[in-house]
Amino acid sequence: MADQKNARVIRKANAFEILNHWVMAISFFTLSATGFAYLFHIAGVVSFFGGPMGMKTVHNYAGLVFAASLILTIFSYLIEALSFSGDDMKWLMKGGGYLSRNAAVPPQGKLNAGQKLVYLMVLAAGAAIAVSGLYLWLAPEVKSRTLSMHFLHNAAFDVYLMIVPFHIYLASIASPGSLRIMINGTVPLEWARKRHAKWAARMT
Amino acid sequence: MGRKSLLVSPELCIGCRGCQTACKEWNQLPGSKTENRGSFENPPELTATTFNRVRYVEVASSSGDPRWLFVSQRCMHCGDAACMNICPSTGAINRTADGAITVDKTKCIECKLCASACPFGTPKFDAQNKLSKCGMCADRTASGLPPACAKTCPTGALRYGEREELIALAKKAGYAKIYGENDLGGLGTLYAFRDEPKLYGMDEKPAMPESLIFWQNVLKPLSYLGLGGALALSLVHLVAVGPKKDEPKNDEPKKDEEVNKNG
Repeated sequence: MADQKNARVIRKANAFEILNHWVMAISFFTLSATGFAYLFHIAGVVSFFGGPMGMKTVHNYAGLVFAASLILTIFSYLIEALSFSGDDMKWLMKGGGYLSRNAAVPPQGKLNAGQKLVYLMVLAAGAAIAVSGLYLWLAPEVKSRTLSMHFLHNAAFDVYLMIVPFHIYLASIASPGSLRIMINGTVPLEWARKRHAKWAARMT
Repeated sequence: MGRKSLLVSPELCIGCRGCQTACKEWNQLPGSKTENRGSFENPPELTATTFNRVRYVEVASSSGDPRWLFVSQRCMHCGDAACMNICPSTGAINRTADGAITVDKTKCIECKLCASACPFGTPKFDAQNKLSKCGMCADRTASGLPPACAKTCPTGALRYGEREELIALAKKAGYAKIYGENDLGGLGTLYAFRDEPKLYGMDEKPAMPESLIFWQNVLKPLSYLGLGGALALSLVHLVAVGPKKDEPKNDEPKKDEEVNKNG
């Protein structure tokens, strides 16, 4: 029966979570490309998005999509991300087992401690970037707040630029078997028992 | 050819406002209705259709007679311009070879960040919300002509020329401190003041907003350094440690059969 056991899968992300993840990813890349063009005056990117006003429209409305997507993630991940246990702490102390080839880490829930932290950072920085972005778009009149909102918008963008590459790397190449969660939403039961033992135990 | 500037000498100004009129004429800006606010000064600040104006300052002097200071005001054409630093739109705010800051309205994206950044409150916006300000008559100076305001000034209160020559000229005339000689990378609109700048209605030490300096020196480079650093560290990890290798041999299930629904 070993073969059959290997064939069993367990659902980790539902269709809504997968779709929302890709909506967020695409809007994030659009916003980053146009954001870099704003920061460093990249003429080619400006032309690609239809000139200065065209790119502004793309940036603003992609921002709305991103903000809506961010709000929807709350229903999927926030409660789990806030449930921080002693095992999570130990997991973090061991660098999630990523620092050596054969490290053993404490059992994890549906999200591991690193994923919880990344989600909370994404939510906090995302909220900052969305609020400041809306302010700059809708209330650009000369106010003392405009400069601080511009500052916040860029600081939060920097946070994203420093965590998103790790997120993509750790959830794909560094951890084989993860990427399919954001494609068909399921993982093999054996994989789940190794990476998310507490969750796998709860689900079976 | 070095940087060119405008030297404003309030002591020579008679407040005729010929510069205001000449500016409107050359730049084809409409007149605006004046209002009596108890002074000849009109309008009370720069507008999208008033690129320069004369500030009227009345002060008591030691002799007992009031002293009238006429201060011609326009964009300062900073050597290190906050508006240009913060402007997110490629090619909307530009610097000419002479050092003047000009606007390409077709590229302005109406974000108004320049107005928040400018330490002088210069940027104003037209009916289409596009940045509208003095461009030092770049279309005239490109052909070797002085800006319209300087051309029309009857007393020499406005002089246009090589920046270094104008500074030397003002110092020779006895003005110890030239306002704007070193502030903000050196201003393109210099003032020869006899007294404290405050008396003429100017900031003693005009400066770039602190948060803008931090943004420019830290946050902006951090965007590519942070992104590059995160990518580099990921690559180092991939080479030094590599992916997790705790997968079962045949990790691809033959048939996706869910053991449990998770809502």
